[in-house]
Amino acid sequence: MTGNDIVKIREFLKDKLFYNEELFGKEAEKNQVFELLRRTAVDGESNSMLLIGPNGSGKTTLINKVLKELQLIKTFHSDCIIVKLHGLVHTDDRLALKSITFQMNLDNAVDGKVFGSFAENLAFLLACLRTGERRSSKSVIFILEEFDLFCAHHNQTLLYNLFDVAQSAQAPICVLGITCRNDVIQLLEKRVKSRFSHRQLFLYPISNENSDTSDLDYTLNKLKWYLELPDKNEPKISSVSRKQWNSHINSLLGGKKFQNLIQRMIDLEFNQNCLKNILVKCVFSLSETNGTLTCNHFEKELDLLEKDDMIQVILDLTALEICLIIAMKHHQEIYDRPMNFEMIFSRYVKFVNKHSNMQNIQRPVVMKAFEHIEKLELISMLNQAGSSKLQKEYQFFKLLVAPTQISEAVGKYIGLPTEIIQWCNSSLV
Amino acid sequence: MEEVLEPLKHTYPGREKQLNELFYLFGMSNKPYPLNVFICGGPSTGKSSVTTAFLNAFNIKYAFVNLIECYSSKILFESILNQLTNHKIDPKLGTPYAKCENLMEFCNQVKSIVDTFELNQSVIVVDKAEELRNMEFNLLPAFLKLRKLTEISISVIFLSDIVFEKYYFKLNIVEPLKICFPQYNKDELLEILTEDFKFAQVSLFDHYNKTLNFTVEFFQGYLNVFLSFFYRACRDLRELRQMSRKNFIFYCEPIYKGQLTLNDSMALWKNISPILTSSAEVLYLRITSATSSKNSIGKTTQKLELPFYGKYLLIAAYLASYNSSKDDRRLFMKFHGKKRKTNKEVQQKSKVSEQLNTQIGPKAFALDRLLAIFYSILDDKVGFNNHLLVQVSSLVELQLLSLVSDDSNLDGRKYKCTTNFETIQMVSKMVGFNIRKYLSDFSHF
Repeated sequence: MTGNDIVKIREFLKDKLFYNEELFGKEAEKNQVFELLRRTAVDGESNSMLLIGPNGSGKTTLINKVLKELQLIKTFHSDCIIVKLHGLVHTDDRLALKSITFQMNLDNAVDGKVFGSFAENLAFLLACLRTGERRSSKSVIFILEEFDLFCAHHNQTLLYNLFDVAQSAQAPICVLGITCRNDVIQLLEKRVKSRFSHRQLFLYPISNENSDTSDLDYTLNKLKWYLELPDKNEPKISSVSRKQWNSHINSLLGGKKFQNLIQRMIDLEFNQNCLKNILVKCVFSLSETNGTLTCNHFEKELDLLEKDDMIQVILDLTALEICLIIAMKHHQEIYDRPMNFEMIFSRYVKFVNKHSNMQNIQRPVVMKAFEHIEKLELISMLNQAGSSKLQKEYQFFKLLVAPTQISEAVGKYIGLPTEIIQWCNSSLV
Repeated sequence: MEEVLEPLKHTYPGREKQLNELFYLFGMSNKPYPLNVFICGGPSTGKSSVTTAFLNAFNIKYAFVNLIECYSSKILFESILNQLTNHKIDPKLGTPYAKCENLMEFCNQVKSIVDTFELNQSVIVVDKAEELRNMEFNLLPAFLKLRKLTEISISVIFLSDIVFEKYYFKLNIVEPLKICFPQYNKDELLEILTEDFKFAQVSLFDHYNKTLNFTVEFFQGYLNVFLSFFYRACRDLRELRQMSRKNFIFYCEPIYKGQLTLNDSMALWKNISPILTSSAEVLYLRITSATSSKNSIGKTTQKLELPFYGKYLLIAAYLASYNSSKDDRRLFMKFHGKKRKTNKEVQQKSKVSEQLNTQIGPKAFALDRLLAIFYSILDDKVGFNNHLLVQVSSLVELQLLSLVSDDSNLDGRKYKCTTNFETIQMVSKMVGFNIRKYLSDFSHF
């Protein structure tokens, strides 16, 4: 394979990773949503539904796919409006209403009008869509992403009104909520809950219906889909290198070592995003000089995933700060009570005095080191009554790293004096 | 593209691996960038500097925001928008300053300017990203999903001192790609500090008005000595550089005086080591001159000129703060009778050091207790008058005492003594008072 081809392959795979529109399975769910939306769009039925599934289970992909299919219906554009709201963006009902108005292209109609209430405003918006034709009103599909965040709005006015319109058939609208919280129904107020149709659709990261495929096979299939070059789509890549690449991927995925690696990942975290992150890093590292994906690439990324970041933070500390952390560890093990700077400092001084070759460091510098540890959030201040009036030496802290993490980091630290390592293992000085 | 990378690696020694990772993610071609990258590393590990230099070198359009500066979401969004639209303050053109109140407007505005300013393939760099946790709840998840929200291929780089673990909160957020910037080790520090070679020559000339022809090896020899003193207490590059610049002038002093030559490394070491030791004591404190710094901490307390009774009041306050009121009778009364040893006291004797008053901090005391102790430790009789009371409040004003009860209540005011043991020892020496006799928990000092 030439370097040029590799670059093309890389670009193609990158596109595939970022603009992935493929649903893996989930045909039944897709059809259900499609049917629901179609009935609103074409027949003018009102409805409401919640789509629930963990992160990366393909909720948004599913909706996008359904919407794309709906566009194929001829009358769709003239009969139906899609309004998309996002819980993170539309943080209160005022913003949501503004966005709804904008997305319905009704800015001009609303301009200058004064509305008494939210419901009045929404009713006006919907009434604007009424025309004198056979189906008297244009239907609206509301898609609410991060639905759980809308539940936190004041009085849940938006949800109440949307569900109310949907239920009382004032105008044909469909409310589709997307969320990753399973308990989202409990977040709804009673009056809102009673207006909701209680149609819920659960999406799982792995398709349940054919349980004979294991998680491993499922993931391997997914990997294969992501990494393989399809036969026709990309004419720029010569068929020879395409074949070469595909056989390379097949031999990689077929390898026992690789499968063990993937099993390790599944055991650790079974999540679409995690798989994607690893893939992104591996695919991005392809270049003219490095034309193949190997087990080692994946192993390296997996090791990074398993790595404990806190250990790296401790390794970045100076010897002085390590000493303080060890003193805190001993304090916690002996007393199991919060500590303050004075206690840690006197423990540290005791240690330094016993070992003549330790550099004597002045109190203000130790104080700075202590503050540095606090800034890295290895310790956190306890909020006790009146603690704001305490001097900083006497303010109480608790240690946020586990003793095992400290021991591990001290073992890995290069160039640490042996006294400190010994002190870490035993609190006797 | 790799030829752009090489000089960068040269400018940032010790950051080759990180530059490579950035190169893989952003440098290879102008096709889609990753959604977001989280760069984590301690202070002064070159996060911002490496990232911006990299983006500049590869001509990637970016906006750089520091969340300490952009403390509210309005300022943050407006600053990003202005940078993306190349806004400059220019009276002739009068381009409008971006106005943006919330995330919704931000998304709309970004969408509306995407074509005119070619925002596809641009990057937003968010420095001090840990502040996001203290801002509006939707900012962090929104920045992590910015591409999905704006439908523009824009990616976000977070720079943070704190690991991503500490970012988890109730919203379940998508984990970004991570790049770790570890602290420099000793060899890397040596290499980076050697870059100061030119600066050292100039500063020597500025200081002594005479050039000294020394080699890089000589300078590295100095740095080795310097690091052996400082490395255990400090790995912060910025601080180390400041210290090494300051001390190099002293290191060369005997050569200028003609006492030593460039080759007397042992003698130079002997000369510099006391100076380095004393300047290691003022690390981070930024006290200007290294020679005078030795006494400077002690001096602040000596500068404190209190009236005679004021000193006694301060001593009395210290005793009241660090002794328990139960011991007062025993300590200050002449004929307090024979002390009976109780079980309780035996237990108290075996108090572990972590419960001593010295380590828990001063306790609050009422004004009448302070005055009672004051009269019993003072030999001459002085009338209780206004002047004494004024001195108490002026001690509070000087922050030697602090008021712990609330301000409104005049009768039951409670105070704490905030001075440390060294200061109080100095003060009691001045008035000829043996304070150790009166302290119960200070036997280990």
